[in-house]
Amino acid sequence: MTEPLLVLDNIKKSYGAIEALKGISFSIGKGEVVALLGDNGAGKSTLVKIIAGGLAPSSGKMVFEGKPFQAKSPSEAKEAGIETVYQDLSLCTNVDVVANFFMGRELTRSVLGIPVLDERRMEAQVAEALASAGTRIPSLRTKVEHLSGGQRQAIELNRFVHWGGKLVLLDEPFAALGVEQTRRGLEMIRHVASQGIGVVIITHIMQQAFQVADRIVVIRQGVVAGDVARKDTSPDAVIAMITGESLTGAGSAG
Amino acid sequence: MNPRYRRILEFILDNLVWFMLLAVLVIFSATIPHYFQIGIFANIVEQSSVLGVMAIGLALVIISGHMDLSVESVAALSAMVTGILFCSAGIGLGIQFTPAWMAVPVSLLGGILVGGLIGALNGYLVVKVKMSAFIVTLAAFIWVRGLVVAVSGGRSAQDLAPAIRWLGIQRLAGVPLTAWVAILCFVGFSFVMAKTRFGRHLIMIGGNEAAAFRAGIKVDRILMLAFVLAGATAALAGWLLAIRTSGATANLGTGMLFNAFAAVVIGGVSLKGGVGALPGVYAGVLLLSSINTAINLMGLPAHYTQVIHGLLVLAAVLLDTAKHSIRQRLA
Repeated sequence: MTEPLLVLDNIKKSYGAIEALKGISFSIGKGEVVALLGDNGAGKSTLVKIIAGGLAPSSGKMVFEGKPFQAKSPSEAKEAGIETVYQDLSLCTNVDVVANFFMGRELTRSVLGIPVLDERRMEAQVAEALASAGTRIPSLRTKVEHLSGGQRQAIELNRFVHWGGKLVLLDEPFAALGVEQTRRGLEMIRHVASQGIGVVIITHIMQQAFQVADRIVVIRQGVVAGDVARKDTSPDAVIAMITGESLTGAGSAG
Repeated sequence: MNPRYRRILEFILDNLVWFMLLAVLVIFSATIPHYFQIGIFANIVEQSSVLGVMAIGLALVIISGHMDLSVESVAALSAMVTGILFCSAGIGLGIQFTPAWMAVPVSLLGGILVGGLIGALNGYLVVKVKMSAFIVTLAAFIWVRGLVVAVSGGRSAQDLAPAIRWLGIQRLAGVPLTAWVAILCFVGFSFVMAKTRFGRHLIMIGGNEAAAFRAGIKVDRILMLAFVLAGATAALAGWLLAIRTSGATANLGTGMLFNAFAAVVIGGVSLKGGVGALPGVYAGVLLLSSINTAINLMGLPAHYTQVIHGLLVLAAVLLDTAKHSIRQRLA
């Protein structure tokens, strides 16, 4: 494995008496794609939110690029280079495609010393990014509420590819995509990883995990139930880890 | 659909309330005697100034997905503070400055400070304590009005200092300076909403607060600022009201909240948040005062204004639904 980009060390998260995460430890290397698998309620989304700064862990340490790291907010995580695509779409449907693409990072130009939104430059960059990804949207000035689910998800995927960063977290990014768009999305992920960006992808679809991931990490009942290289395992073995039939690498039953 | 036709249609949909205003003015001018006069139009603009400025702050908060019911009471408090300090009759203390015009910035800043503070308190309770904006600002609507009655003892202040009154009397292009203050506010805030990051972020927060937060937008800070601005503009409206009436009474401005809401909704702002622009709100305010003026000229009892305002709000919401379905077909 290449040098670790992010190391999670015994991350715990509890809500009152309920322990959602009971001590998660694994690491992600630069340019590595890790598929995070697990049954509903296993704690995958909670873990992603902790890394992305949306939730604070109850205990545990994270090391990002060799330094202790704990984002207090999504904006801090973004500054550190961590991009996130959530399962429920993170678009503002009441504004247009360009505004969504540049959400929180709007370009401005100075007019009489006042920073004014530079719409033309932003639109040109979005047009370029979407064209190079092969996504067609009739008008970039259309409000997102008038676009289809697939088009929306394409915008989100293109957004993270464009902004890149150092680590990308994808929480079920293909839920609303068609076959062809999913294939292109998986290609995008490999392309991003080939630039040395670490990728964590949560998915329910075994086939996708085996298509795109270098390593598969299974979470079950808040602990890591398995951490294996893709080439050393099979879908059946992974399913066994998810459902808890196999004891290899399984944590305490809690 | 060809792009040119589409662009024209979108333009009409975006500015529908302006076309309505134009249509109403044309119809009134044609059917009501003496309506078509420069003086009448100047009067409409003048009448719109207080309500207009109040509607700006209210619109900002509604666009961000929240609500501010306290604007009317905040305006009354600001008017009362100005009245008590700078009126020479009634409960006025009649404070004087040399030079006399110093009273203008001092009274303005004093009012805005009071409004901004109440806005900050509302914002703090909504954003940090996570209380419902409806409840927080309903409470402020009640306690701020109570404060107005308490500090005035239920009495009024009259005879505002001439240096301040001057703003309400001096005219530029036929319109008093106070109305120009309102127009400047609309131009300034429209620019902020359409062209700056703050405005863009406010609209996005109104559309999807979680998405804006995840995208790294500092949601708390921006919402806080929106509430402070709503308080400050309401206070500015109160200051203008004090100038218009040359003083302040304990029940000054009661009922304005509903007119402000009506103007905001007629202007195309959705109460669900995330939708609307300030030029439309100004058109909404002008539309309301055009109708008031028409009712006055026709000699109808003033009670009819309320009936018409209510129906207008319903019409605006219906129109909004129609606009939405047309847009969906466009995309």
